[in-house]
Amino acid sequence: MLTTCIQLLCLTALFVAVYFPARHARHYEYVAQENVLKEIVLNNHPHFSNKPNCTYEDIVSSSHVIQVSDITKQQNYIAPLFGGEFIPKHCVPLIKTAIVVPYRNRTEQLNIFVNYMHKFLQQQQIHYKLIVVEQNDTLPFNRAKMINIGAQLAMDSNYTCLILHDVDLIPLTKGNLYGCSKRPRHMSSSLDTFRYNLPYLKLFGGAVAILSDQYENVNGMSNSFYGWGGEDDDFYNRLEAKNILPYRFAPEISKYTMLMHKKQPKNDRRFENLKWSLENIYNGLSKLSRKYSVRLENLYTKVIST
Amino acid sequence: MNNEDADLCCCEYYDIFNERNHILACFCNCVDLDEAVDNIVRGRKVSEQNRNGLINTMFDRLRVPWTGGARPVAFDSILPVFILPIMFAIASNSLWWTVFAFSTVAMFLLLIFNFFVRTIPKTKFFLVWTITSTILLYFIFEFVVIPFLEILVEENIALSILIFGFVMCLYLTKLKANQSTIVCQNEREQNLLLKNVEGFYACNICETKVPDKDHHCVWFDCCISRHNQCLFMLSLFFAVTALLYSSNLTLTSVCHPFEFIKTILLPDDCSDVYYQFELGLAFVSAIYSIMVALLLLLVLMQQMLLVSLGIPQKEWHKLPFCSKLCLGLNTPRPYNRGLIKNWLRITCYKQQKYTSINRNV
Repeated sequence: MLTTCIQLLCLTALFVAVYFPARHARHYEYVAQENVLKEIVLNNHPHFSNKPNCTYEDIVSSSHVIQVSDITKQQNYIAPLFGGEFIPKHCVPLIKTAIVVPYRNRTEQLNIFVNYMHKFLQQQQIHYKLIVVEQNDTLPFNRAKMINIGAQLAMDSNYTCLILHDVDLIPLTKGNLYGCSKRPRHMSSSLDTFRYNLPYLKLFGGAVAILSDQYENVNGMSNSFYGWGGEDDDFYNRLEAKNILPYRFAPEISKYTMLMHKKQPKNDRRFENLKWSLENIYNGLSKLSRKYSVRLENLYTKVIST
Repeated sequence: MNNEDADLCCCEYYDIFNERNHILACFCNCVDLDEAVDNIVRGRKVSEQNRNGLINTMFDRLRVPWTGGARPVAFDSILPVFILPIMFAIASNSLWWTVFAFSTVAMFLLLIFNFFVRTIPKTKFFLVWTITSTILLYFIFEFVVIPFLEILVEENIALSILIFGFVMCLYLTKLKANQSTIVCQNEREQNLLLKNVEGFYACNICETKVPDKDHHCVWFDCCISRHNQCLFMLSLFFAVTALLYSSNLTLTSVCHPFEFIKTILLPDDCSDVYYQFELGLAFVSAIYSIMVALLLLLVLMQQMLLVSLGIPQKEWHKLPFCSKLCLGLNTPRPYNRGLIKNWLRITCYKQQKYTSINRNV
């Protein structure tokens, strides 16, 4: 009797251990496609122009998926202003977004990204600017610090919405509107290299949309994560601590593809840094050194940190 | 052997001299080993008697811990337990190592297959190979692929059900094979004329007579007859689907996937898999799965064809090449009862019916 009980218990324990939800990709709650527009923050300032306001219903309700093979093709888009800024001509945009791209040593990917994004974003009738932040030292890549620098620059020039975007991520669905929502939003929830699944619920990296005042409220991201990994989880902790919980939109409009590249060495101290995550909240936007130079290129603004 | 059997701990056993021994003491107290080493050190020849004694002792001491005393294992049976993990470990290093490891093992298998079937036909080598492969692939999936956090719970459960189906069918196939031979032995005791009863065939590996024998499957280590052919084909079906499904899940996790149709993903770029050992191991296990699945699929299709034609596999092998090309349609088929009846024969087998036929004879 006792042995049967023990065997049963062991079997149950094994069963739970093998099928434990946290060992698998997760199902998650999301805002359905028809409710997306209610969540987007629009700047409805009164204006004195005779142009109509831009509308976003068509974009948000689109279910068109772009083929991966079309990404690298030469795209036809209107040449943006010097520095990679674009303002729609025939209507007044209600969304003003700065897309901050941390970058180092991936010229080929940057070219594909910039070429693709101008075409993609111009279809959405939003006012946007591409800011590429390049790390110019021999230390391991510090993604979070680069994002802080880019975000600081964008906020200085009155951008209310920040999209923190990896250079190797390409949005595939036209319904993915590049504007900020009321709560911070994890945009790349349906990524092809993750089999279009979400690895874990607190994932908040890749492509992320956040309002500038929310970003300032949590003091940006931590400057102390060198190498791959950890900084996005730390950012999530900061938001959670301030009770600004991120959410996601429907996976049908959140499909992304990742451009192939060699994996970077992982940051061995990332768990250590993560453990002190909330004690280190002062280390962020406020501690940022202002040592960077800004260069206006044809298609984007390049920030070089030194 | 002894009444003290119950007192043995799991690592103890009675050796060839009927003395209590412990598996940790496997190198102790071996006169032959001592003498052989002594002779080698002194530069003398090791005697024939010494060598035989050494081999006997070695086989006697090669044991696994078991409740009620350690059990002896045959050397040939435990080979796959070492070969398969080593093959996977070597193959995970680079593409060339994969090609090398797989082709070496495939060649080794081809060579050893005929050797074993001729010299030690009762070997458990192939059954152990099947079991080790199943366990190894399942462990790699659960503890290497699942931690990549890209597989959903329901996908894992679906795969587990397929594997469970395979294991159950394998078990039932073997169980039915044993049952049918036991029935025959009882019949033989009652009726010595059974030799001439049509439908019973001797299997020189099982060393019994099997009713309606189709063939002997070394990988399952049992005879496949009318009793268990349906289960055998079911287990093949489960094995093929489980292997293909697991390899698809694994490959789409470690490689760059694309959407084939709707929700079905297929891998398209696996160039990065040897960068990390875990990725390489998962990739290699998927490749092994696909190769085994294709072989099993061929066997399954051959079985289905032969059942439809009403030709037992042992008869099929005797057919000349030309007849095989014509699917055996030009030769007399004494077992053929029509397509539907052939299938009903293996699916709706009843024990009762069979014994009644025996009594009539």
